[in-house]
Amino acid sequence: MKYTKLLLFLFFLSAFYLNSCYRIRSPKGGGEIRDFNERKINVSHIALPEGYQIEYIAQGLTYPSGITFDEQGTPYVIEAGYSYGEEWTEPKLLRINADGETTLVAKGDKNGPWNGITYYEGNFYIAEGGQLNGGRIIKISKEGNVEVLVDNLPSYGDHHTNGPIIMDGYLYFGQGTATNSGIVGNDNAKFGWLERKPEFHDIPCRDLTLNGINFESKNALTDNPDDVTETGAYLPYGTSSEKNQVVSGSLPCSGSILRIPLSGGDMELVAWGLRNPFGLAVSPDSKLFITENSFDERGSRPIWGSGDVLWEINTGKWYGWPDFAAGKSIVNDEEFKSPKDKKLKAILASYPNDPPKPAAIFGVHASVCGFDFSSSDRFGFKGEAFVSEFGDMVPQVGKGLAPVGFKISKVNIKTGVVEDFAVNKGNRNGPASWLKSSGLERPVAAKFNPSGNALYIVDFGVMAVNKKSTRPYKKTGVIWKITKKQK
Amino acid sequence: MENYQKTKMIKPGLTKFIKTVFLLSSLFLTTMCASRKSLPLKGPLDVSNNKVTAGQVVFMEYCYKCHPSGEAGLGPALNSNPAPGFLKRFQVRHGLGVMPSFKRNEISRDDMDKLIAYMKALRHNK
Repeated sequence: MKYTKLLLFLFFLSAFYLNSCYRIRSPKGGGEIRDFNERKINVSHIALPEGYQIEYIAQGLTYPSGITFDEQGTPYVIEAGYSYGEEWTEPKLLRINADGETTLVAKGDKNGPWNGITYYEGNFYIAEGGQLNGGRIIKISKEGNVEVLVDNLPSYGDHHTNGPIIMDGYLYFGQGTATNSGIVGNDNAKFGWLERKPEFHDIPCRDLTLNGINFESKNALTDNPDDVTETGAYLPYGTSSEKNQVVSGSLPCSGSILRIPLSGGDMELVAWGLRNPFGLAVSPDSKLFITENSFDERGSRPIWGSGDVLWEINTGKWYGWPDFAAGKSIVNDEEFKSPKDKKLKAILASYPNDPPKPAAIFGVHASVCGFDFSSSDRFGFKGEAFVSEFGDMVPQVGKGLAPVGFKISKVNIKTGVVEDFAVNKGNRNGPASWLKSSGLERPVAAKFNPSGNALYIVDFGVMAVNKKSTRPYKKTGVIWKITKKQK
Repeated sequence: MENYQKTKMIKPGLTKFIKTVFLLSSLFLTTMCASRKSLPLKGPLDVSNNKVTAGQVVFMEYCYKCHPSGEAGLGPALNSNPAPGFLKRFQVRHGLGVMPSFKRNEISRDDMDKLIAYMKALRHNK
């Protein structure tokens, strides 16, 4: 009896200890690297399932973000022209030659990041992030002639214009939200855009009714340390909301999948209520899927423990942002409550529909990006999705005990089972620069070649992250190619 | 003499106390060490047992996001956690520290059995 009490006491003590321990432990993000000098490449540092091999076909790229192929199977890559850390370079469309060298096809304006590319009937279609002048969809001929198809997309905030893909005569693209969870806050000042665009905020696609929940913060736009401001959802910084206030919806809107007819015509809404729909791909049975970067633990309304998502897109549906994560309500749920904050309240007074169930849920802060479906037995795993995981940005997005992402996962979309496919070897997961090895860094896109026998991986390169800053390294991007070994 | 007898009486209690603290500390330290068991590193998981296959689906819905592939992420690694099944069930039902609890309306008793079977299979994947 005496010892039972002692054991119970020790159990609760250890529980308390573990709890306290989590709170006081310093975060361990994959970007927390020191003394990086040079990116080295060694394919033997990467683990793949038995029967597969990896090689690299290009290196020394600056912030590469997407890949596509022409009719002959020649790969073309884009360099983003912008990276977190407010690093600006020239966006570029490059052809990758057989010897690994690149040839410039076209350059873009200082309005990156170029987030994605697709090729269709002799032209390239690119999603231009639009951090400075708004998002755009641009069309570039093989000769390098540029035509703007869509402009003025709401991309001045945290997330940008993404995609695109072409299906059934339409060009589909993703539009990210301005904020983490609906409220413009001091995290946006840290990102650098609040001062540039103080009136910018999220725009719903359809009318929404608010609950009148407001968030106080120190005013980041004044020098007075005692100046406090209050901000409501879908409103500019420093503007309060009222109960039952209706915010008008309009197109283009934040957190959505939109489309335009390739033959010309008005923009149409496909789906909304998504935080940052980054990757778009069509399954072998012609269904549209997207990857969504889910909430961070930051800003006025931090949300904890929210995994990234793979969604099948149903036309017209609302997917839950900013009150749901992966189809689950975050309101009053301990699962999503930040350890340093109160339980979450609903921003919206009513919801357009019950959010759908996700196709798969990934690691918290994994940053799932570009992906593609295997459609050939020559590669295997036919019908499964291969997803690039850029990797965490801890400590800026919250806490973690170990690096998350930095790999290629494969997903069975029928069961939602996510499995590693290409990872760095070692006792722990992480980017090569963190592991001090020479494998993968930050995979940002995955695309099969037209014959379907090779999976190409766009590796953004090295990016160091600490509490105060983000430091991407130029000329560290790599293009990898994975194939099945010949028997 | 009196003092000697007193020491003798306390000693067994102290030994148990030290053993318990040692056990808990070892458990704590072990869970902090990542153990990688995923497909490219250890080969495919044996899913001939239907319970394991079904448990994998439950794991994906509720656990994967904080413990990707059973490794450390937002939460600690599970693959190297030697705690017996009943303790794991207790922790899932009641939470621990920052880990939320999952009641029967989220993970049913049947699903919990499958989940524990999957976690055991993953942990032993060689």
